[in-house]
Amino acid sequence: MHPTETWIFRILVLGFAAAFAAQVGTRARLIRRARNNLRVRDDETGRRLLRFITEVIFQSRTIAERPAVGLAHLGVYWGFAAFGIYTGVEFLAGLGIADFTGSRWFHLYAFALVPFSAAVILGITGLLIRRAIVRPAALGDRVSGESVLIGCFILTLMVTFLLAFRWEAGLAARVNWWVHAMVILGFLVLIPDSKHFHLVLSPLTVYLRAPILATVPNLDFEQEQVGLETVADVERKQVLDAFTCVECGRCQVNCPAHATGKPLNPKTLILRNEEALLAGELDRRLADVFDAKVLWQCTTCGACEAQCPVGVEHLPLIIGARRGLASNGEAPDALAAVYNHLERRGNIWGLGADLRQKFVQSAGVEIFDAARHEYLVWLGCAGSFEADFQKSLRSLFDILRAHRVTFGVLARERCTGDVAKRTGNEYQFQELARANIEDFTAAGVTTIVTSCPHCLRTMGVDYREFGFTAEVIHSAALVADLTRTTTVPGTGHVAFHDPCYLGRYAGVTEEPRDLLVRFGATVHEPDRHGANPFCCGAGGGLLFEEHEEGRRISQERLEQLERTGASTIVTACPFCSIMLKGAQASANTQVEFVDLISFVDGRMKGATASAPRP
Amino acid sequence: MILVIAEQQGGTLNKASWEAIAAAQQMGGPVTAAVLGADTGAPAAELAAADVAEVLRVEAPALTPYTLDGFVSALSQVVRAEQPGDVYLPHTYQTRDFAPALAVHLGRALVTDCVAARQADGRRLFVRPVFQGRLLADVACEGPALATFQIGAVRADSVVRGAAPAAVRTVAVTVDAGAIRQQPEDPFREAKQAVDLTQAERIVAVGRGIKDPDKVALARQLAAALGAELGASRPICDAGWLPMDRQIGSSGQTVAPKLYLALGISGAIQHLVGMKGARTIVAVNKDPEAPIFEVADYGVVGDLFEIVPAVIKELQG
Repeated sequence: MHPTETWIFRILVLGFAAAFAAQVGTRARLIRRARNNLRVRDDETGRRLLRFITEVIFQSRTIAERPAVGLAHLGVYWGFAAFGIYTGVEFLAGLGIADFTGSRWFHLYAFALVPFSAAVILGITGLLIRRAIVRPAALGDRVSGESVLIGCFILTLMVTFLLAFRWEAGLAARVNWWVHAMVILGFLVLIPDSKHFHLVLSPLTVYLRAPILATVPNLDFEQEQVGLETVADVERKQVLDAFTCVECGRCQVNCPAHATGKPLNPKTLILRNEEALLAGELDRRLADVFDAKVLWQCTTCGACEAQCPVGVEHLPLIIGARRGLASNGEAPDALAAVYNHLERRGNIWGLGADLRQKFVQSAGVEIFDAARHEYLVWLGCAGSFEADFQKSLRSLFDILRAHRVTFGVLARERCTGDVAKRTGNEYQFQELARANIEDFTAAGVTTIVTSCPHCLRTMGVDYREFGFTAEVIHSAALVADLTRTTTVPGTGHVAFHDPCYLGRYAGVTEEPRDLLVRFGATVHEPDRHGANPFCCGAGGGLLFEEHEEGRRISQERLEQLERTGASTIVTACPFCSIMLKGAQASANTQVEFVDLISFVDGRMKGATASAPRP
Repeated sequence: MILVIAEQQGGTLNKASWEAIAAAQQMGGPVTAAVLGADTGAPAAELAAADVAEVLRVEAPALTPYTLDGFVSALSQVVRAEQPGDVYLPHTYQTRDFAPALAVHLGRALVTDCVAARQADGRRLFVRPVFQGRLLADVACEGPALATFQIGAVRADSVVRGAAPAAVRTVAVTVDAGAIRQQPEDPFREAKQAVDLTQAERIVAVGRGIKDPDKVALARQLAAALGAELGASRPICDAGWLPMDRQIGSSGQTVAPKLYLALGISGAIQHLVGMKGARTIVAVNKDPEAPIFEVADYGVVGDLFEIVPAVIKELQG
């Protein structure tokens, strides 16, 4: 290389590096000034490293949702990683620091890169075609010119890399070298201000993501925390999330609110947050940044967060902003009534404890006694007051009795605080949680069984922060285990509706299907099922907000389930059951509903009744 | 002497004021009525028609519009100057706002939401519902107290009128406008629902069991025969068979009629929470397992298309 060339290159590198550093600096300052909410416990390190390997190095989440696109991305990603040293060596040479480009190992390395470059060319061409020509809705309404430019950059890098084999010296080789180097520098300065900043941040955000979906730590009232009110309150991980978002739209296409025509779009939330941060609007209310209305359209189903390939956590942001509103008395009217009911009666419907007592007595259930009972059966608000769900609990009691399992219930219960937690009424949640935990401790409870996935999550995960240690299981898991050797022949085509808080949150997807199959049903799956179900529309306090913008989520889900052709829909959550039955009553269709536990109980009793008597 | 605080807005008396006066008159002793505002001429003259010892015009410029601090300041002065026994107030939104603060200022007990007051064994007792109206409690308190009366608990038309208008006296109070912390905004009225089912004494409600939009007419006939309002569960309103403002339930109106007739309503919890306060619930449903029967006082398992015409015939015959 000519000395003048070297000097020109040095100046250019310096200039571009300075531009890169300036852009990164703005973001670094915003990250540093945010409240530090990064909590990585020592005992989680193993799990986080494992996730880093699967999700960053092997791109499992990128591939899971969109295999073709994911594999194309994997090709580009590995190509980038493989080219790292190549670029480093070329730059060292270009800067006149050290020249290894003539060495034998470098030639071997360059040859080894050829298949990688092919993978990148294939991958990036596919991704460019998708972005510029196919244009899926997830990528937004207009084609991002910047992304197309960067795609072309990557393509140019690969082509110039391959051309270097043909032109080893002379003018063509120099021009080729310069094109390659300038594209890298151009790419460098485009990174921080584009979605490509995920190259830098996403390994970090994936590692830092909470090990459990939708983790929203308790507010510390001693520290006068009230949730997120303004952009300045947004916490460190959420700021990192805002800058790492790759705008792929997986959250958007999986969001039930977005799918039913509501303005809520999880991707937009993250991008609005980024815009507000970069614009320095630290004093702006989040309710204005996001539009308060959309914050209350989230069912907390968790689909966005569970699908995000770069570790963005949407729920701490949404629930954090709800907390900011709820703390200022700005929760929607429908919730104000619920909070009142929780305050006065300790249940979401504001019904009298006498109704629960009546049910407990008529079901012949004993009050829990640690000396005699293995399990505490937790009724929850629905089990205490909702006639339909009480049938499911009667079935559970019968199954437990048939298997000689000892159990009791508490003399009184309060709501676990699920609705309060998800809607940002943190104070009420903590009051309910502490009171319930006190009762559990006093009663000597060690294992809790509940049929409500929301109670399952709240007691089994959210209560841990208060030091609660009892095991909490869903009745489907217990019943599957108790009946594991039982098979009852039967007929019937059913579709199982996975509750979000059971399938996605708790990962209980096998047990319900195992039960249905062993008890003689043919299971039909809707498009969205298992660990990525489509919400019924009840979560996050929306059970009480029946006036929905756009289509009803419950209506959409009912249609998805009906399209399986199954004559019966099996539910395993009182909220799902209420929502889907409501949708069916409005749609006036013929499909039938049965609760999972009632189904098993019915088949077991049917088998006993028809068995030949000795 | 019982002092009754009447409520007025823009010179118009709140009807509940008469109910509080009637409750006070029924105790048998002398009653004085007071009305507050910047100009209370008209309402005071109106109050003077009642059989009361005196009507007090408590006037200060800072008393209009209403503010908590203004009222507490003025009424503290009036009570200290006039030394009444008990103070009666209508249980209005305004009273709910200032009465607790006033009680604290005066160091008096406050008994809210009373349905009656009476004398027993030489003590005066305030009667108020507890446990969501399932029981009535007699509240006895030492010393003069403040008591608020539930709207509608005492009939306004039972006020005894005086033979001649009562004396009207203006009470000068000083209210420091600068010390008032509240800044009232312009009053607004929420868009009133076209149909107000919350005040209905009888309601006939229909659910999915009615099957056909034409059959809603049958329920309408029954409602007419009973002098009842027509309501519905969500699916009926979703389907547009009845307008949304007839919907009863958690996303519709919450009602508490004396009689609630549920026709073909299964009783999903979202509906139940909107009508559980009804005094008597009668349910007609084909499905004996329907949750509505859990809350019904009278349940008929059967075909509403047979039962309803028979009931209409009975009512009209």
